[in-house]
Amino acid sequence: MSTGAKQAKSCPIPTRVLTLKDWSQLPDCYSQTPGGTLFSTTPGGTRIIYDRKFLLECRNSPLARTPPCCLPQIPGVTIPATHSVGKLQDLKEEEEKDVADDSQFEMDI
Amino acid sequence: MNNKFDALKDDDSGDHDQDQSSPKDSEKIKIEDDEKEQNTTKKKMAVPGAGEHPLQYNYTFWYSRRTPGRPASTQSYEQNIKQIGSFASVEQFWRFYSHMIRPGDLTGHSDFHLFKEGIKPMWEDDANKMGGKWIIRLRKGLASRCWENLILAMLGEQFMVGEEICGAVVSVRFQEDIISIWNKTASDQATTARIRDTLRRVLNLPPNTIMEYKTHTDSIKYSLGRLPWAGEC
Repeated sequence: MSTGAKQAKSCPIPTRVLTLKDWSQLPDCYSQTPGGTLFSTTPGGTRIIYDRKFLLECRNSPLARTPPCCLPQIPGVTIPATHSVGKLQDLKEEEEKDVADDSQFEMDI
Repeated sequence: MNNKFDALKDDDSGDHDQDQSSPKDSEKIKIEDDEKEQNTTKKKMAVPGAGEHPLQYNYTFWYSRRTPGRPASTQSYEQNIKQIGSFASVEQFWRFYSHMIRPGDLTGHSDFHLFKEGIKPMWEDDANKMGGKWIIRLRKGLASRCWENLILAMLGEQFMVGEEICGAVVSVRFQEDIISIWNKTASDQATTARIRDTLRRVLNLPPNTIMEYKTHTDSIKYSLGRLPWAGEC
């Protein structure tokens, strides 16, 4: 952090004003940090921001796959329930499929 | 950034002045002493591992289930809710999430809660008592995907409301599912508006989906005795 008494030059944050007649006109990037949010920090701060795409990509790393230590054994939640083995497969077909990605996890039974 | 993780390793509460970043943005993990006593599971705070991507906050997964028809007192509610585990990095999150059933596959009257470490998923917690929640009722079949998108947005700090977010809940019920996101200050309309807008952006909800904001005090007021918190009013 700076220790000197100098003040940084300031300039206004660039803004753009839109008038919308409908929610559908709301730009896609509204309320996102500009330039994407791969792993970014806010100016002058240290907030850690990740976008969905990046988080999903992290799922494939080996660090993300090992079972956590101390996972409580809760039937039907963290371990298969005795009678609902078939249910998992059926419900997968019922659920809406997203075109972009469908990283449904499969429980090892 | 190094100082922040040094602070994480400390077990003492109140040792967070080590953090040099501005108070608004820096991590504020409250380790309350009474929290340590009441927690039956983890005594150590989660810390990101080497090579892992740290999160802005640590979070804890909880699970609860209730036998429908049986009224729940405060005491039995606390007993029915169980910690699954806490995490401090993206990779640790996936480790838990990948070993938990998806909400759409839960049976009965069940809930998953994902709250910042140190905040209990209950109205009475200090962080929640002046707060409220956005709730979204979903027809069956949507909960898994919406829950995933909701928590990824929360973990990735997409809501941009400082420290206001407390946690998120997905509630599986008989004919519908409910997702909700809790924040600290129900009266802060700028915050609640921004949360609503982010929900619209990240969740891809069906058209005509209704989002409702409820303060926790209203939920307490209108519940009979002490019903569980989500979608019961």
